[in-house]
Amino acid sequence: MFHQVKQAFRSPKFLVGFIIFTSLLAAAIIYPALSMWHPLQIITRPGFAPPGRYVNIQDVIQVRPLDRRMILVDVDANRLGNVVADEDVYNMIYFLETFLGVPVGHLSVDDQATVIYYWNNYYDPTYRHAGMIMAEHLAWTRFHAQLQVALDGTIIIAYRDEEGYLQEGAGFDTQDFVHIRDIVNVYHFPLGTDNFGRDMLTQMLSAMLVSLRMGLIAGLVATSIGLTLGLVSGYLGGFVDDAILFITNIFTVIPGFILLILITYSLGPAGRGVTVVSAVIGLTAWPWTCRAVRSQVLSLRNRDHVNLSKLSGHSMPRIIVKDILPYVASYVVMALILQISTAILAEAQLSMLGLGPNTAEVATLGLMMQWATMFSAWQVGAWWAFVPVILAIALMAFSLNLMNTGLDQVFNPQLRDS
Amino acid sequence: MGKVILEVKDLKTKYVTRFKESVYAVDGVSLQIEEGKSLGVAGESGCGKSTLALSLMGYYFAPLHYISGDIIIDGKNISGMKPDEVRKNVLGREVAYIPQAAMNALNPTQKVIKFVEDVVRAHDKSMSKKDIYDMAVQRFEVLGLPKEVLSKYSVELSGGMKQRTVIAISTIKSPKVLIADEPSSALDVTSQKMVIKMMRELMEKGYIKAMIFITHELPLLYNVTDDIMVMYAGQIIERGTAHEMVFDPVHPYSKGLMGSIIVPEAGTRDVKLEAIPGTPPNLKKPPPGCRFAARCKYKIPTCEHGERSPRIFDNNRMHRCIHSVEYLQERYKNEREAGSKGKVSETGAE
Amino acid sequence: MRGYRRYYGKKLLWYLVTLFVALALNFFLPRLMPGDPIAAMVSQAMGDGAVIDAEAIRAVELQFIERFGLDQPLPMQFLIYLRNVVRGDFGTSFLQHPRPVSDIIGESITWTLALQLPAIIVGWILGNSLGAIAAYLRKGFDKGMMPVLMFVSNVPAFGLAIVMLWLFAVNLGWFPVGGGFAFDMVPHFSWDFMMSVLRHYQLPFWTMVFITIGGQAIGMRSMSIYELNADYVKYARFLGIKDSKIIKYVFRNAMLPQITGLAFALGAMVGGNIVAETVFSYPGIGITLLSSIRGGDYPVISAATLIITIMILLANLFIEIIYGLLDPRIKAAQQDV
Repeated sequence: MFHQVKQAFRSPKFLVGFIIFTSLLAAAIIYPALSMWHPLQIITRPGFAPPGRYVNIQDVIQVRPLDRRMILVDVDANRLGNVVADEDVYNMIYFLETFLGVPVGHLSVDDQATVIYYWNNYYDPTYRHAGMIMAEHLAWTRFHAQLQVALDGTIIIAYRDEEGYLQEGAGFDTQDFVHIRDIVNVYHFPLGTDNFGRDMLTQMLSAMLVSLRMGLIAGLVATSIGLTLGLVSGYLGGFVDDAILFITNIFTVIPGFILLILITYSLGPAGRGVTVVSAVIGLTAWPWTCRAVRSQVLSLRNRDHVNLSKLSGHSMPRIIVKDILPYVASYVVMALILQISTAILAEAQLSMLGLGPNTAEVATLGLMMQWATMFSAWQVGAWWAFVPVILAIALMAFSLNLMNTGLDQVFNPQLRDS
Repeated sequence: MGKVILEVKDLKTKYVTRFKESVYAVDGVSLQIEEGKSLGVAGESGCGKSTLALSLMGYYFAPLHYISGDIIIDGKNISGMKPDEVRKNVLGREVAYIPQAAMNALNPTQKVIKFVEDVVRAHDKSMSKKDIYDMAVQRFEVLGLPKEVLSKYSVELSGGMKQRTVIAISTIKSPKVLIADEPSSALDVTSQKMVIKMMRELMEKGYIKAMIFITHELPLLYNVTDDIMVMYAGQIIERGTAHEMVFDPVHPYSKGLMGSIIVPEAGTRDVKLEAIPGTPPNLKKPPPGCRFAARCKYKIPTCEHGERSPRIFDNNRMHRCIHSVEYLQERYKNEREAGSKGKVSETGAE
Repeated sequence: MRGYRRYYGKKLLWYLVTLFVALALNFFLPRLMPGDPIAAMVSQAMGDGAVIDAEAIRAVELQFIERFGLDQPLPMQFLIYLRNVVRGDFGTSFLQHPRPVSDIIGESITWTLALQLPAIIVGWILGNSLGAIAAYLRKGFDKGMMPVLMFVSNVPAFGLAIVMLWLFAVNLGWFPVGGGFAFDMVPHFSWDFMMSVLRHYQLPFWTMVFITIGGQAIGMRSMSIYELNADYVKYARFLGIKDSKIIKYVFRNAMLPQITGLAFALGAMVGGNIVAETVFSYPGIGITLLSSIRGGDYPVISAATLIITIMILLANLFIEIIYGLLDPRIKAAQQDV
């Protein structure tokens, strides 16, 4: 066994895969433990915040005497109530949904900030939309121009009057500075925040661990079913073999992912715990392992050492465990590695369809992707909310597959040249 | 003495491995075959005999590389030709090859006739499909193969049939020299016989003019070929007629090799079966001096120095040992006598 | 010839049995779950906060009970289900009441087929060519290409879809951000509409092609390397056959196992592509599935999963027939049967 492990490390592919995998694993274990936040802790206001260093605005103000407040237009919806009338916002939403491809139901009159954000990003006064008369077009361009005037000057400082009410429009002093040391909360988000205002890096690394654990559970379930069926089928032969092979073939043709959709949907939201979903993924992934193990056992069944064991009157379980299992072990390990990588992918895809694990305690890579797409991260250009997650999924699968290929070359020498 | 069909002068080729190491598998081989003659090449596995077969084609591709030497077929030196010229004008026409593993020599997804077409067209684009088919049918019939074979896929043919089909295809353009590398080794005895018979017919009917037959099965060579060469570590170490080589080998290695066979003829009963101890040298770095020295019972200190040049003796026989023919024959005679008296020297040490 | 008929007869029978198993799973799996299935369906539909008319649900529910014989014993229900499936009757949608499910599925499966079938075929062809070239050239091309392809083959389809959208639609603005055609259009046959469909088709199509390429190229490369070392290659060379011709033998032979490989990988491929479709808001089966999962529209989910399964079974059967015709090794085996 030790010798086999040592041999595996001679394969450069295995080695590279192993290094990538262990680095990911180490990062996933160490970083969330050292991070100052819980993975799902909400830190900033909702909205994707790009990677970088952040200071808390309240802190900045509080450094100076308590007579001012700073308002950022594009995050403070209340302030905009004065800028755009509700009716205009309603029309803007209609225009965005009808002509600019924003999904229906995404925007609401109550959330003016987002509406204006979209408007400024998508509306092009020079473009004439089909199905719109000229007067309408001109009305919209005029509205756009007015809106720009109203929005001009994004930072407003308000002084308190004697009664304590804020007085707007006072402008602000360009000579107001605060030393960065005096600010209590300077946060660093290396990968920005997600739409809920949670640190992406902490969340992603802890999600990686959860996804990996799910993959491991699914892989173990799939491998134990596949291994058991394969051993029994290959060793017993005859009717049992025919029956198991028949079932296995059927389940290799019926797409596992579709079955997965059906089962997880049937479970209902309450039934979709992290462990249950992992087990279900494993339940739909065993046929490959079963086939591989069966064909190995078939070739082993009539080897001399097995026959000798049979002649010595050893029991079937003993023969299987002592004389057959050691020879299929390498295949089983390879199959397990593959199962883990496909299970991670399956979880991600399920979550994208809204059938992933239903949990509020942990994030998985799939759930993170679902959140990123639900809040249209790509539409608002918040690449940090999805690119790192996709890379994490791909890198994990890639490293596991590399290890698998490496092992394959070590244990199947005829492929070594390729 | 007949007309020389194939003459090889000091041919050297090498393999280059994945790790850029050179393996000198054919290291200075010279040979001659006259019209109507066949030559057998014998040797242990890994001695370079299969590489010799490939090298004699004059067409080299990775991992095999040409170093030096001449291959002259019917007066034409092909070793100076461009690869594409060799491919077009030499392969299949002047010299043809029968591979070691004929089982897999045919493309499994192609009908035999399609392959025949490709072979013929590679040399002669002018022939129509009909002409090729007629020619193939005629040739197959002469060689005792049913013409139905042509319209089959190789998977539909039995092992022996496959091998005979391969032979028929190899010789379809009536090459002057046929090089057969273990053509019958993987076959059952009946099929083996048919293959041998077929090869004899090819010679008799004049479809080929000379043949080199490579095998590790010595009894086969004795029955099939006129002359035998013994190869060791990329070199020819002895050459003679089949009869001489089997009954009167001179080089200690040939002696050992022949010692491991039983020829069912009178006077051979006292040939003691023995394996040659040790393994052939590493051809990445051939040892200086005699390459067999490390395994030889008759080794003397000078064996391991200097290059052994071939010694010609008797009538066109050759060997590559430091000892004289007379000395070796004397030693063998003494051993035989000692052996028949029951004093068998186990290790053969002096 | 008789061997053929028996072989394909057997295959067909096997696929019919598999279809039956798929139908049974489709029927029984949701019903094996604890609780009253209809109540669960309705509560799920309500619970997810989708905007549904409660009355519509009640109507659908009653119709459902009646049409699917839910007051009858389970085996009887299954028979009714089978009869309905054969008729192409999957009931009506909860969400889009009273639109029949077959209508919804029929429309979206057309879009999906139009996207995925060409994408998988083109990806398969490109991937195989690339793998073959890599195997033939080896050296630099191979060394540089293979790790990239291996990595690409591990990127989930939906992930690539999102990145493509972000890069080419949002940042560069070369392509529309989603949908199957422009928002202000109603599907009809006209030049403008076709152009719009074509423009919207590009990103999803190339994403799926790209995803398919990776895995196929790797498989083809190792198959080709294996075939290039085969004995028949050496033999053909020594008979003076041109390298270009021999390469043709090799690639043909290496490609044949790739066809069966495609059959095996198809389920996973289509599953991944369906998820990618949702990212593009492409009006295919993916978005239908997604919205019905969100809205708890059980009849649509059931029908959609069944249709996808049937499509994959058909594709598998088709591939197996093609393969049987192309590879004489199989042909020989068939005649022995």
